Amino acid sequence: MSQSSEAAAMSSSADLARIRMRDIFASSWLPYLASICAGLMLWQLISTQLPGVIFASPVAVADHLVGAFASGDLPARFANSLRHMILGLGLALLVAVPLGMLMGRSETAFHMCNPVLTALFAIPSVAFVPFLIIWFGVFFEARVALVFVMCVFDILITVTAGARNIEPRVIQAARSFGANRRTTFFSVLLPASYPFLMTALRIGTIRAVNGMITAELFFAAVNLGEYMEDASSVFDSAAMLSVVFCLSLFGLLAQELVKWAEARLLPWHVRS
Amino acid sequence: MTRSHILFLNLTGIALFLCLWEIAGRAMGPSLLAAPTVVVPEYIRLLMAGDMLRELAGSLRQMLVGFGLACIIGMPLGALMGRIRTIDLLVHPWVSMIVVTSAAALAPIFILMFGTGFEFRVAIVFVSSFGYVTLTAYHGARGIDPKMLDVGNAFSTGPVETYSKIILPALFPYLITGARLGLIHAIRAMVMAEMFVLVGYGGLIFQTGQDLSTAPLISYLVTLMAVSVGANMALGWAGRQIAPWYDSKMAAG
Repeated sequence: MSQSSEAAAMSSSADLARIRMRDIFASSWLPYLASICAGLMLWQLISTQLPGVIFASPVAVADHLVGAFASGDLPARFANSLRHMILGLGLALLVAVPLGMLMGRSETAFHMCNPVLTALFAIPSVAFVPFLIIWFGVFFEARVALVFVMCVFDILITVTAGARNIEPRVIQAARSFGANRRTTFFSVLLPASYPFLMTALRIGTIRAVNGMITAELFFAAVNLGEYMEDASSVFDSAAMLSVVFCLSLFGLLAQELVKWAEARLLPWHVRS
Repeated sequence: MTRSHILFLNLTGIALFLCLWEIAGRAMGPSLLAAPTVVVPEYIRLLMAGDMLRELAGSLRQMLVGFGLACIIGMPLGALMGRIRTIDLLVHPWVSMIVVTSAAALAPIFILMFGTGFEFRVAIVFVSSFGYVTLTAYHGARGIDPKMLDVGNAFSTGPVETYSKIILPALFPYLITGARLGLIHAIRAMVMAEMFVLVGYGGLIFQTGQDLSTAPLISYLVTLMAVSVGANMALGWAGRQIAPWYDSKMAAG
């Protein structure tokens, strides 16, 4: 009797353990962790095959990051870089969102602007750098301008496509319930736009992070760009990889933040 | 809206843009912004001189090596990630990381690793197009309709037939779209890398930026635009030729 109850207790605890294991595997962080560990191990393996001057190991990069963060040098430079990134991104949103909405909702505007925009979008943004130097010099204004150029077209295309694809049925439904233009705009079109506006923000942010470092490397080297150029002149690959690592991590975090905000603010827009 | 109406609006838009550009160009002068009437003769002169096209052909050849590598590795990897969960879990974070990593930030590191020659440019192009090719293939493979696989099962197809008759045709539109996306990023990366080390077509663009007139600079940008648009259209056309179901899958283009 006691034996059987003991066995039952054991089997149930084994079940419990199994379920818990499954839960842990199903939750997203453990595979994430495994993936990161595997990647870091691969990186370590490759770096031991190459001279440290060329390709620093993750340990060396971590070491460098701790030092750079402790001295406050890297965070200060990062904060400075963020200034032109945020300003450029903000300006791009101010221009691209209204224009994209106009192009998305008006067929006439769309067909008039589309060929020119497609052509401009096809030109790589960095190729505008000589122009930006002529117009804005090589300092803060030029950096803001490059960030602007790098994200404005991507945002514009996302917003246009989103606004064009707003379900016509919801607008028709609003109209058949007698909504006037004002109500249709504020309680139908605007909420229907939030999902793709968030997507545009996400894409724009990634492009802006990209533009931020590109600007610092192509114009006068300052902040993070200066940090990288200094490191490259003394063959300090750990310092360079640290900057790239921080930037990538920052880009990923920004992207996840926008996704998180989307899930919180727009619960009706479920993404898989 | 009829086709002719759309065409009319397209042409009006282009004409309006050219007019605005002409007015701005006249007001600012060729050293700040060359007007179209200044650019056209300069463009023909550069076309005749042949330097522009020669540099462009050389740069594109190198770009295609990097882009080809990205397709060869990225497409199967993306398809595997879409079909096998373990691979997806292991690889996905790093692929997302590559997508968000700025190619410009990698340039100084790659110069240390590969020098400034052929390998450097191939590596930059590879890194910046790889993520897009892989992720598009991944979404395609994930989105394969299970009903189609069930139909295959019901007709007892073997693994080879399932692959060649169901998975590959369903994946195909995504592979082409991934290639189109990747190509845009490959061209961006090519120009960026060449501007960084001042060689090839990108180097040409950067150096003409210091000229007195902006007409040659604009000419180079126009050629680049034509190449980019042309390559994109060619891939789309090829997609439609090889797989007529391309458009129905990819309504957004």
